[in-house]
Amino acid sequence: MLSDFPYPIPEHGSEPYWAACNDRRLVMQRCDACRKFRWQPTPLCTFCADENFTWATLSGRGKISTWTVVTHPVHPAAIDRVPYVVVEVELDEQTGLRMLSNLVDVNPAAIKADARVAVTFTEHQSGQMLPVFRLTDV
Amino acid sequence: MDSISDQACIVGIGHTEYSKDSGRSELKLACEAIGAAIEDAGLSPADIDGITKYTMDNNDAVDISRSLGIPHLRFFSEVAYGGGGGPLGTILLAAMAVVTGQANAVVAFRAMNERSGRGTSRFGQASTAAGAAGTASYAAPYGLFSPAQMVALAAQRHMHLYGTESKHFAEIALACRHHANLNPDATMYGRPMTLEDHQNSRMISTPLRLLDCCLETDGGAAVIVTKADRAQDLRQPPVYIASGGLGGGPWNHRFMVRDIESPATEATIIAERLFPDAGITHADIDVLFIYDHFTPLVLMALEEFGFCKRGEGKDFVGGGRLRWPDGELPLNTSGGNLSEGYIHGMQNTIEAVRQLRGTARCQVADTKHAFVSAGNAVPTSAMILRGAR
Ligand SMILES: [Zn+2]
Repeated sequence: MLSDFPYPIPEHGSEPYWAACNDRRLVMQRCDACRKFRWQPTPLCTFCADENFTWATLSGRGKISTWTVVTHPVHPAAIDRVPYVVVEVELDEQTGLRMLSNLVDVNPAAIKADARVAVTFTEHQSGQMLPVFRLTDV
Repeated sequence: MDSISDQACIVGIGHTEYSKDSGRSELKLACEAIGAAIEDAGLSPADIDGITKYTMDNNDAVDISRSLGIPHLRFFSEVAYGGGGGPLGTILLAAMAVVTGQANAVVAFRAMNERSGRGTSRFGQASTAAGAAGTASYAAPYGLFSPAQMVALAAQRHMHLYGTESKHFAEIALACRHHANLNPDATMYGRPMTLEDHQNSRMISTPLRLLDCCLETDGGAAVIVTKADRAQDLRQPPVYIASGGLGGGPWNHRFMVRDIESPATEATIIAERLFPDAGITHADIDVLFIYDHFTPLVLMALEEFGFCKRGEGKDFVGGGRLRWPDGELPLNTSGGNLSEGYIHGMQNTIEAVRQLRGTARCQVADTKHAFVSAGNAVPTSAMILRGAR
């Protein structure tokens, strides 16, 4: 029986993302040409196809664009965790810059779209730190 | 040749029974469905010289040709993205092959033991691998695995933006179940559903309930495509492929988590050409076959393929519009993925052909045009079929 969800396998292109998480920093590629951020590493800029970028640290603040409270476990590690909340967060840095995560320490009934959230980090059983979010007032 | 409009026809349809455990191999299911389609067309295996398949299908084209006694295979290919590219993409590929003269008669099929798990693993279950790579590495560590969970995120967003409610999603499930109860071959035949049943069904991942999700099924389904001029003297009235298309975009990268505000989606991309290519408008469609993996995605497909505006799906699906015989636009008249059987959408096309031949159980009067779409939220495919009558 697996006691945790799958750990992320850092790959060529995503290693700096996961390494920064272990340093408790949320980073994303920021295009050197058009200055836009992108989530999930890509070799070229999604917006202008430029290949030059810098790993930039984000504020980790944003708002909930959508969420789901998972109540039916489809993975062995989910059995003891349901209900848990998967959230899509739109980060303050850029309109439409959205990432998937968990919303933790929350009463599912209290979740609303556009609610403010802030990143925090939680340790996966593998030792890898994962960015997750909490509701916040600011 | 600007499009393949009306140059190819579906001339044969066949399927196995739809069950929870077929008790036989996926190859056997494929051969039975294809054999039935060849028989329906009044052809013999020697007349078939092409096979198109879903990339996800475990069956091998050459295994099928050997098993069925197809002596000369001149065309074989496959289409990606499961229930998105597969259902109409394989048929479109078959049509392109016969129209260009690469083949004479091509079979498009899907066969799987998806429910029993004998050969194909159940789509609703998560992989139990210890690590996740690629796009899954950004989802699986958070317990986001199944299509249902991903679709739930989009459904919640739709509810927030447009005021859509669970009862609107229910309309789709209710229409499909209504039709399944008129179809003795349907898995859910004899099991009527009420709005209350839907609202009381188990929550899977908010706002998605069990009765918003399609069935899991063992079975096979196939169609035979040939050139329009050859179709004229075969056993069945030909059903013309008026237009067909594939669609996808860069936003499809996030699994099935949709950006529902995106002006372009896999559906809008297809719709842009599908109707002009067929020379008709939405008002000319007599019967609808929208891929029903999850009810919210059917509602979004109706909006994005242009049957109503974005955000208006909740009103469009009401008032019995989708139910035969009184509704003006009956949906998935044999019960669909939700209530007939889940052969990854192929069974919806078979029912569309029946409607255009005039042999459906829930026969819509004077059907001339059927709209058939495949699974959205992934790169997808769609087709407008035209009856000979
Ligand atoms: Zn750029």
